[in-house]
Amino acid sequence: MSFLHNIRTVAQYESRTLRRSWFFRLFSVGGLVIMTFMNIGLFSPVGGDSWGLQAISSSVPYVNLYLLNIGQAIVVIFLAADFLRRDKKLDTSEVLYTRSMSNLEYILGKTWGIIRLFLFLDAIILSIGLLMNIISTDMSVDLLSYLQYLLIICVPTIVFSLGVAFVLMQVIRNQAVTFMVLLGYAALDMFYLYYRAGWIFDYMAFNLPLVKSGIAGFGNSGLIANQRLLYLFSGFALVMVTALLFKRLPQSKLQRVVTTILLILCSIGAIFAGFGTWNTHSARIRDKKQVIETNRAFENRKFPVIETASIDLVHKGKTIEASASLTIANENREDLETYLFSLNPSLRVTGIESGNRALEFKRTGHIIEALPGKRLAHGEKDSLKISYTGAVNEEFCYPDYSESSKSNPYMIAMLVINKRQAFLTDDFVLLTPESHWYPVAGLNYYPSDPARIKVDFTRYKLRVKSRDGLTAVSQGRVKKDEGHFSFAPEEPLTGLTLAIGNYMIDSLKAGSVEYLSYHFPGNDYYRKSLSALKDTLPQLISGIMRDLETDFSARYPFSTLSLVEVPVQFYSFPRMSTQTRAEVQPAMVLLPEKLSTLEGAGFGKRITRQKKRMVRNNEVLTDKEIQLRVFQNFVQNTFITGEQFRYRNGVAWNEPVRYRLGSSFYFFKNNFWSDEFPVINAVFETHLQKAKAPEQSGFFGFSSSLTENDQANLYLKKASFRDVLASNPLGDTLRQVLTVKGDYLFNLFREKAGIDKFDIWFRDYMNGNRFRSINIADLNDTISRKFGFEFYPFLEDWFNRKDQPGFSFSRLTASEIIVADRTRYQITFVASNAEAVSGLFNISVRTGADAGGRDNASINFGGERVTISVQGRGMEASDISKIVMLAPHETKRIGLVTDAQPREIRINTLFSMNLPGVIALPVSNISKKRENQAEFDGEELLASPPGPANSHEIIVDNEDPGFSRGEQQAVIPLKRLLGINYNGRQEYQEIRMWNLPDYWQPVVKAEYFGKYILSAVYTTGGKGDKSISWTTPVPSPGYYNIYCYVGKPADQVRIGSNEGDQDEENRGHSPSQDMHYKVYSDEGVEEITVDYDNAENGWNLLGKYRLTSDSARVVLTNQSTGRVVVGDAIRWVKAD
Amino acid sequence: MKIEILGLNKIYPNGNHALKDINLEFGTGMFGLLGPNGAGKSSLMRIMVTLMKPTSGTILVDGKDIQKNRKELRQMLGYLPQDFRFFTALKTWEFLDYSGALAGMKNRKLRVSEVDRLLDQVGLLEVRDRMANKLSGGMKRRLGIAQALIGNPRIIVVDEPTTGLDPDERIRFRNILSQLTQNDVTIILSTHIVGDISSTCQGMALLNRGEVVFSGSPENLVRNAGGHVFRLNLSTEQYESVKERYNIISTIPVDNGWEVQVVSDDPPGFNAIPVIPNIEDAYVYFMEHKIKATIID
Repeated sequence: MSFLHNIRTVAQYESRTLRRSWFFRLFSVGGLVIMTFMNIGLFSPVGGDSWGLQAISSSVPYVNLYLLNIGQAIVVIFLAADFLRRDKKLDTSEVLYTRSMSNLEYILGKTWGIIRLFLFLDAIILSIGLLMNIISTDMSVDLLSYLQYLLIICVPTIVFSLGVAFVLMQVIRNQAVTFMVLLGYAALDMFYLYYRAGWIFDYMAFNLPLVKSGIAGFGNSGLIANQRLLYLFSGFALVMVTALLFKRLPQSKLQRVVTTILLILCSIGAIFAGFGTWNTHSARIRDKKQVIETNRAFENRKFPVIETASIDLVHKGKTIEASASLTIANENREDLETYLFSLNPSLRVTGIESGNRALEFKRTGHIIEALPGKRLAHGEKDSLKISYTGAVNEEFCYPDYSESSKSNPYMIAMLVINKRQAFLTDDFVLLTPESHWYPVAGLNYYPSDPARIKVDFTRYKLRVKSRDGLTAVSQGRVKKDEGHFSFAPEEPLTGLTLAIGNYMIDSLKAGSVEYLSYHFPGNDYYRKSLSALKDTLPQLISGIMRDLETDFSARYPFSTLSLVEVPVQFYSFPRMSTQTRAEVQPAMVLLPEKLSTLEGAGFGKRITRQKKRMVRNNEVLTDKEIQLRVFQNFVQNTFITGEQFRYRNGVAWNEPVRYRLGSSFYFFKNNFWSDEFPVINAVFETHLQKAKAPEQSGFFGFSSSLTENDQANLYLKKASFRDVLASNPLGDTLRQVLTVKGDYLFNLFREKAGIDKFDIWFRDYMNGNRFRSINIADLNDTISRKFGFEFYPFLEDWFNRKDQPGFSFSRLTASEIIVADRTRYQITFVASNAEAVSGLFNISVRTGADAGGRDNASINFGGERVTISVQGRGMEASDISKIVMLAPHETKRIGLVTDAQPREIRINTLFSMNLPGVIALPVSNISKKRENQAEFDGEELLASPPGPANSHEIIVDNEDPGFSRGEQQAVIPLKRLLGINYNGRQEYQEIRMWNLPDYWQPVVKAEYFGKYILSAVYTTGGKGDKSISWTTPVPSPGYYNIYCYVGKPADQVRIGSNEGDQDEENRGHSPSQDMHYKVYSDEGVEEITVDYDNAENGWNLLGKYRLTSDSARVVLTNQSTGRVVVGDAIRWVKAD
Repeated sequence: MKIEILGLNKIYPNGNHALKDINLEFGTGMFGLLGPNGAGKSSLMRIMVTLMKPTSGTILVDGKDIQKNRKELRQMLGYLPQDFRFFTALKTWEFLDYSGALAGMKNRKLRVSEVDRLLDQVGLLEVRDRMANKLSGGMKRRLGIAQALIGNPRIIVVDEPTTGLDPDERIRFRNILSQLTQNDVTIILSTHIVGDISSTCQGMALLNRGEVVFSGSPENLVRNAGGHVFRLNLSTEQYESVKERYNIISTIPVDNGWEVQVVSDDPPGFNAIPVIPNIEDAYVYFMEHKIKATIID
């Protein structure tokens, strides 16, 4: 008893002492103020729209403790280090040391004193959060989670911090050094170690996935328990070490022995928990590796096609017991001696029968090899029944992806969500085709060819039994009899999904489609927010579906669409073989609980905000109109375009594309395959499912970055399509490359067949081949018969060759013409491809009224200055009006005739060296009517490309060999000390106005000069210690006029400007100011200063110089009073 | 209760031999340790209260080695160190309550009552809610005394307890200790203020340079000095001469000169009158004559 009494006593007075320290008071008052405001801002009815957090009720304690824990971990270090220093400093401590208590009691008392103080603070802050939680109109309260997060996040962090601080203070004996060491570790955790090695180093649980679902709980309790116990036990072990090292004569030998035993026990606990944490991580890697190796062994084997599958499944808590009766067909050229299937490796096959005859089978990992005892010839069919039982191993699902919160972040605000691919628990089940919960005749990943996919369109039937009170959900309409749920989808499907849970069901018939909503009790918050739409919902939804069908030129192929609520942890990784994510299944979308991760799902707050905006703008809208607007925005962003990405360090935080319905219009109903070009289906899919979404604009929109098309062309400049695929690119790279390649291929089809002809025919062809897999060799034959050309021969270069065409455009003219008493408009321009490979570009013409409010910018166009529009507002977009193919070194004059007055032509160079790849040319200076002039709507081959304006001129651009950026040595002292240089840095970036590069960074903008790549380099203004140079051989001595190119981007941000102020005086100044060129000539070196604001947009004369030596040189330094210095191109023109 | 100190040595890591073969024995009542600064008193105290280990030797309390039975010793111990100035952020009563709780007083009600009683006893009741750090030097000392007494310790070790106390407080403190000796308590008092010893201690030891140079009762110490303390009436010239040759204990200016007391083995002349020594005279005589003579021998 005296053991506890002593601990309690020491703790009581330690808490009291710390409570009175200014450091703690400052922290707690600051923390209380900040957290109170945060709670009001995030969770209260008057707070902002942070639906992701509001939807998950456990996010209240999680957010509060997550943020508090970071501060707390640091303050604890300070206070813990302070206690030993204080004991040493205070002479009055000695009287306490002579009291009868063991060192362990004293140290534990001190530890508990600090812990309870912080827990008290946590409790106060949590109660503020709880109050907001209770008064929030949209949130439910998860009381248990308050305690859970306190124990999970705070206690282990504090104990571990205390333990480490105590021991370090004993060893180092210097509070400042101890504090710095521990602060360093905390920073290391937050910025470097947080996700590494399966979170084993993340002592603050900074990045540990801890979001708790209202449906499925944490879903990773084992990992959480192990990881947190690791730090709890380690902390206690270190506290024991402190007690042993403590500078006070121990009370007795027995106490030392007890302390030592506790140290050993805590260490063993920490080792076990650490091993458990590591094992979760390594088992995941091992399982994935095993799946890949098994797949590697079978990727060249032939699988049958499953035509029908009738699955009977019993849900038995954490396992299932099932049988699948399959009808298979051999569509391979070779006979099949074995029937190969893939089944989740944790599902044990109990038997295979064929016609009441048991078949022998082998199991290799997830592969089932059934031995039918006969050969199945091409075109023959067979049937068999596979019985199996067990659990589901989720690591099987995406074997090429590791669980890394760094490379695949999945978060709500700062809260990391555990990624789950399947659920099989007593109360909830979610099994998607990706988990292979039923036999699948194909592999989930082809290691040698990750873009390959085998798609079977199978007619499924499913019969499910689960425990009473749970509802089964799958594709198709449900029938319930004798405790069984039966599903018989009307259409063949690419895969079957099963969810079982305490679902509530709503249904709505709109048009020919029945919409089914499966949600959990209390999660239908949207009913209240969107109550005014109740009556018009069917029309609204069928209207949205009609728009989708129009966009994709195809009908929605299923009779139902189920929206199924699933735990927020359900997450699918992107695949190389398809752009379709597992959140969207045939006739089904798996939506996160309470739509938590979806942008714009906080309808209530959005509607309130909209109303406030209306009042501000004196607008009058009815409630119904507002709700309609909010709902349509949500639907548009979630299911149609998915354009609202949030990025951090270039990685998408949220992925609205996960729920896009585009896959229903291609991937779930059509399939093209090729052994030679396995990526073909992904290419078709990317092109055909591409939503009509606006281009991604640059950050804050004032400095446009490269488009996805441009980025893809940059990848393809370095490697062929085949090589890009082989390099297994991450993130959006693959999608970008597939898009470019797909666009190129379909432009080729359209160029050969005619745009409209091809589009109409291909739409009919796709509909005629719904739910069938087509070999592209057959497609080639069909196109050849229909249109008289074969695309197959093009595919070899398309796939394997990396050379890109490069296009130059010049001599744009536009004139009014009279044709048959009608005023029409004739546009002509010349296009050249100077490269050794052929290429395609398409042209679209924008017509309409004056483009109100647009800015104009001048660009170099074939040596001439033309003004381009940088904003397209006020114009009507039209479809592609012409596709042009240019053979190597070919030049054509292109003619277009429009009925409406052209405003702009846009040339998309598709797969080419041109950057930017889309060139927008405004059509100004339209010459007046000329009678009886012949129309020219077509192409005319020219003998040679237009020559330069002046044959005596030499131009060296920043992309040319004569340009040098010198040594890209860092100028920031720390970077220089670390030997950082930027020679390898070639990627184009946008011009940023903050954190300016201290090296010369290439940047692409339409206003800059270039043959194909309109680029320049820029750096931060400095003292002249960095320079770039342009050097060229001089053909003949003499006087030369030397010019520098100054591109003036119209969207460039101005410093000190008043927003919207058009007054020149108030527009602020440009970030570029004086530019210092050094011109080398016979007279020596002369420095010429060019003032950016006064410079011409284009070539600016530096002066006339005599050059007799072999080479001429101009240097630009970073000396400037401006924020940035931009260098582009230099031109030498021989003077007469 | 019997405390025996047997062959105790303490050598610090820097080679300082602080205690040299100390052998002492004393029982219930007050035992005084007298000696100049650096004599080793505090080292001995710190070993006695288990803050420090001896290099060799043992201290037995009722026959039990305190290094092997620290728990038992600490349960019966009250300690006031020489330096007692810096407190954590606790109020006066809180510090006392903390000490009381650690002294084994588990009943909160009784503890609070005892805290107030002791605060009253040491004259701090009025400042019970003042932060301990804000107390004056004397008050801190009194608080130290109170905390040493809380929990009814059977052994009280007080190191220089009256340093910084004014005469009234010193008397009050001595009285408190005297009262405690009535309750079967052993008090070990270390001091360099001779007056503290004379009024209260039954036994005492004189420490010098780590060695016990005298051990016995204060009366014995005084007896040893009998016949060696003289009073002289001197002119200024005589005074200068005497100052050179003898240890002057006290000097009082009188008409036409000085009245001084000196210690000396032999009468110093100048019509010296032998006086009865007090313990202070005895301490000076002992330190200046006996020890120096021993060293010279």
